[in-house]
Amino acid sequence: MISFQKKNWIYKFYTWLPVLLLYISVLNEFDLNYINIQYFSFNFPFLLIFYFAIKEYSRFDFLLVFIAGLINDTVVGLPLGISSCSYILVCIFAAYLRNITIRPNLIKDWFYFLFVISLINSINYSVLFFFFSFELDIMFYVVNNFFTFLLYVPVTYFFDKYLEAIND
Amino acid sequence: MASSRDDFVIAIRSAFLKKETKQKFSLLSLLFLSVLIIFLSSFNFKIINNIRSVINEIVYRSSFIVSLPENFVVNSSKKIFEYSSFYNEYKLNESELRNLKSKEILNEIIISENKELKNLIEDFTLTTSKILAKVIVDHDSPFLKTIIINKGSQDGLKIGTNIFDKNYLIGRVIETNFKSARVLLLSDLNSSVPISIIPGNIQAIVTGDGANSGEIKYIKDNLIGEIQDQSIGYTSGTGDLFRSGVPVGKINVDDRGINLNFYSDFTQLKYVFAEIEKKEKKLNNLINQSDEEVVLDNNVEAFKIKLLNEEIKILDETNKKFLEKNKDLVSKTKELSTLNINLKETIQNLNNRINQNKLDQKELEFLRLNLLYSSKCQKGTFKKGYKVGTPEYKKCILNKGNY
Repeated sequence: MISFQKKNWIYKFYTWLPVLLLYISVLNEFDLNYINIQYFSFNFPFLLIFYFAIKEYSRFDFLLVFIAGLINDTVVGLPLGISSCSYILVCIFAAYLRNITIRPNLIKDWFYFLFVISLINSINYSVLFFFFSFELDIMFYVVNNFFTFLLYVPVTYFFDKYLEAIND
Repeated sequence: MASSRDDFVIAIRSAFLKKETKQKFSLLSLLFLSVLIIFLSSFNFKIINNIRSVINEIVYRSSFIVSLPENFVVNSSKKIFEYSSFYNEYKLNESELRNLKSKEILNEIIISENKELKNLIEDFTLTTSKILAKVIVDHDSPFLKTIIINKGSQDGLKIGTNIFDKNYLIGRVIETNFKSARVLLLSDLNSSVPISIIPGNIQAIVTGDGANSGEIKYIKDNLIGEIQDQSIGYTSGTGDLFRSGVPVGKINVDDRGINLNFYSDFTQLKYVFAEIEKKEKKLNNLINQSDEEVVLDNNVEAFKIKLLNEEIKILDETNKKFLEKNKDLVSKTKELSTLNINLKETIQNLNNRINQNKLDQKELEFLRLNLLYSSKCQKGTFKKGYKVGTPEYKKCILNKGNY
């Protein structure tokens, strides 16, 4: 197991890693589109934000999440504020789940995550379609939703390992 | 019942309002802020647009830098794949290039002629110049098909500027910043381009399908049957959104319907051309022409001279080939004429011999008949006849003794 000497700069960097990863993913649209599988895509920021909001990770400042949303809108070309709103909603739902949960369960979290991302993607689609007259393929949203849901468990495994290393 | 409702309210309040350790803002305030930003961004306030431009500039550059490692890996794998099929492609390209070179010269001449004619019929013309731009962000998002280029309003780009890959249309600018711009690709669902389909000159509108091709829409039902497979789609210029006559793609007709395969591969864009329009007045009085226009005219003239020189070169080469062929033909003609004379002489000799033979045969016949009928035709003391050697005698012999 990796162990850190606290107050070391590598440790500090390691503690900021989720935020760094979030920013890289929004700046780079980290969704493996270039592998050219039709419709294949997933929303990595949703996975990351949901997980760390549920775990109440201290470095995961909601303001930084909000700014990441603004950057994502700029990169993708969506109206400013859409992704910020989505990310903050993910945080709210995650915070609610954390407050009502006494004994955390991965499967329950997983299906709750499916409900959350489905709801937020629906809101996204509706706002873009009705208020901003964007032409969008709903299939992309459905498939994106599905793959994001599927990837929750493997991603959780890696994030658990990361948190274990931090707590050592 | 009441307690469970209280729990729910407490959990909601806690989720919305409670600031966690080291959190500076509650989630509710951030939610309101994001909704406010969405609301403001739906209106075109100047301040919001300026702030947005600044954010765009910073984010695009950062995104370009952050994308470098991933792009390096993706591009390297693509390059390795390309090297494997490099030789075959090279051979195909070589033959294609040869064909295109010959066509290009003709095209350039036609373009310069076209410019000249436009100058004759209009008071002003729109001259266009293309500037090279680098694609700095291309994430191939499944939702919106856009790219970011490193040229902006400072370089003369404005909303609606046409963007090209080589000579093929790929999209138009939908958002400009000071040193960058967002280009909506033709494959995007929100993109619509009026096109003419050739052959048939059928007018249609092509919209992006969200992948890498376009769908033919808004076409008269009775014209659908006239569209042929592998027809070519050009921009028609209707609506003044896109310049007319720019090739867009090839039509593909199959069971799924009529699609347009774009000439450019939008996933492989590295450098593109932005077409900037300059309005240029043609002055009636040549003396009042500005220096810039004079230089421009000189450039056009120099360009035309260059083209004409190239044309002359081609004609000279063709002429040389014709002269060489001509020489060959002249020498061949000479050979043939001498042969002809010889043959004529031979024919003459043969004719003479035939005539001689004919004469000899007649003489022989006469002599044979003379032996038989000379007694009948010869004049005697008591006999009527002709004197030997006279034409009458000969006639009598040939008539077998009948006078």
